Amino acid sequence: MSKKEKQVDAGLRQFIKDLGYVAGGAALLGTVPWLQSFTPDKLDEIKKEKARIGLIGVGSRGQYHIHNLLEMPHAKIVALCDNYEPNLKAALELCPDAKTYTDYKKLIEAKDIDGVIVATPLNWHAVITLDSLSAGKHVFCEKAMALTMEECKAVYEAYKQSDRVLYFCMQRMFDEKYIKGIRMIRSGLLGDVVGARCHWFRNNDWRRPVPSPNLEKHINWRLYRESSCGLMTELACHQLEVCNWATALTPKSVVGIGDIVHWKDGREVYDSVSLAYHYGNGVKITYESLIANKFNGMEEQILGSKGTLNLATGMYYLEDEAEGNSAIEQLLAQIGDKVFSAVPAAGASWRPETKKVYKAHPVIKGKFNVNDGMSMIGAEKDGSDEMLSSFCQACITGEKGRDIVEEAYSATTLCLLGDRAMREQRCVEYPEEFKIPFMKF
Amino acid sequence: MDEPCYFNYFESSKTFHGAIRNIMGTRFDIVMLGESRAQSAAVFMDLKRELRRLDSLLNRFDDESEISKLNVRASSGFVPLSAEVWAILCDCKRYHEITDGLFDVTKDDFSGILFREGDRSVSFASGKTTVDLGGYAKGYALLRLQQILSDNNVGQCFVDFGNSSILGVGHHPFGDSWKVSMENPYRRGETVFEIDIRDRALSVSGNRPEYSGHIIHPATKKATDERKAVCVVCKNPLDAEVLTTTLMIAGDKEKNDILKRFEVDSVYEYKW
Repeated sequence: MSKKEKQVDAGLRQFIKDLGYVAGGAALLGTVPWLQSFTPDKLDEIKKEKARIGLIGVGSRGQYHIHNLLEMPHAKIVALCDNYEPNLKAALELCPDAKTYTDYKKLIEAKDIDGVIVATPLNWHAVITLDSLSAGKHVFCEKAMALTMEECKAVYEAYKQSDRVLYFCMQRMFDEKYIKGIRMIRSGLLGDVVGARCHWFRNNDWRRPVPSPNLEKHINWRLYRESSCGLMTELACHQLEVCNWATALTPKSVVGIGDIVHWKDGREVYDSVSLAYHYGNGVKITYESLIANKFNGMEEQILGSKGTLNLATGMYYLEDEAEGNSAIEQLLAQIGDKVFSAVPAAGASWRPETKKVYKAHPVIKGKFNVNDGMSMIGAEKDGSDEMLSSFCQACITGEKGRDIVEEAYSATTLCLLGDRAMREQRCVEYPEEFKIPFMKF
Repeated sequence: MDEPCYFNYFESSKTFHGAIRNIMGTRFDIVMLGESRAQSAAVFMDLKRELRRLDSLLNRFDDESEISKLNVRASSGFVPLSAEVWAILCDCKRYHEITDGLFDVTKDDFSGILFREGDRSVSFASGKTTVDLGGYAKGYALLRLQQILSDNNVGQCFVDFGNSSILGVGHHPFGDSWKVSMENPYRRGETVFEIDIRDRALSVSGNRPEYSGHIIHPATKKATDERKAVCVVCKNPLDAEVLTTTLMIAGDKEKNDILKRFEVDSVYEYKW
């Protein structure tokens, strides 16, 4: 084993150790059932084996996965597929021994491939996933699950009938600070969960350079309705999944407003969305995304009667610590939260109509990564590599990851229903025919 | 014995927080940014050493301090002073003069302090005279600390001395200044001011519900009972300290005359 491989293996073990798997396995599995296939014993089982992986779609996100796969001792990239030649060429430079394809159907026929990674535009997710499962391949597909409710249901049902492994890259499910944060919520740290506020703000046009006008929809597929639901499927999907994970519920209905406010460049998807998802117990998710102002960044706040946990930053705040902090404690909390606000001199300042300063507590002791939400490709240590590693392990063991598809199904269908609510300007109830046994309303 | 002190370093934001719980009769906090843990800690230890030194000179509640010894002995004859305490008392005299007598470390009659240049000694004209550097010492200490910070090239820090004497060097990491606010002590929830400071000192003096009547008008000998607060922002932390105490008792005309003799950025006065 090379020095590099040893380091990666150690990294995987550390991830499991950091999660407290050994000490608190049963409690952990209640929060993250998909980790049952990701145990230290099972890592030992696959020690000398390698999952043979083919990638379908090797643009920026596909290449991000290639970089991660190249670091994994239990994965070998054997095939690459893309119908855009520059992407294929760039990917081949990263793994020159891989066989190349321009038609995914040919790739999934290959016998020497155990699993495929699908990193294509969203409108291809369902068809490629269905074909790959039919061809006997394990599948790791980018989020969102699919472009329509019907496609999501078809994929879900195909998966239920299949003995193959299926993952959707909802990487927060494998991010240590999210896992520990959700465990804290479930343990009652925040009291009753009474609300959720999520937002994702950026300030860029979300475009990539197009070498020729006829490639516009191919390259900037996120901006067109035939291939994407824009902010909902590309960003909100992750955050809605987190809210459902925290509440262990699925919202019953959604209302929302969407507009193209700033980037009036021919795109078809909204650049500004505001929605409210309504759970059966009255708890609401207030969701907002805008890509012409980045002031608020990306946050996922779970609001409880006793405190607030911001899963995106890995910090929590307790209600009874909101007042009475010394001026300096408030200043330190501001700096920790990257907030510029007043330091109260000559007595504690309490301002009823502005946000109070709370003491910030980290979910994880020591250093941890926080994604600022600005990258269009992927962030360092955001759980993607752990999830991909888990998938490669599953390609060897054949063990399905519990609830991974269900979480993706719930989150994606909620994105699609939110988009429908905005387009039809009405309250949309979760349709009976799309409910699955996993969901609790 | 060492004063209880502690410090903490936040690696991700390169933020250092040092605190001394009880020094010169109050609490001292500093937040330094951009320096390494070791550099920040070294500067903090320098600051702490200086504060302890000043405490041993100026704290009238410490029987062993030079000021305490002066207060005990000076009514019986001239007491030789260290060069520094001599310079401080001379400076207090200067402030007394340029504040038209309103700044008075005797809180009674500054002329009761007799200065003898030759051997730098001082005596008190009567047994009633005492020196209380309460309205001076924190400003003086901040002036000294300002120099230490500058000598160590600390370009970004916030010093909070007793929650009323503030020094803002450089700016907040997420703003172009340091922002300081004050609450109306009689009306919870009402912020009476927010001030941006950058490379400036800020001093606040005000009556609070628990006000002990420590601000005394030297002419009337009465404690001011006005419900008000004064805040001064200027470059020199000692000027700021002296002025807030002075302006608490100054009338409008006195105030205007006195302020002409100082380089002040801004003065905020609130009455309730």
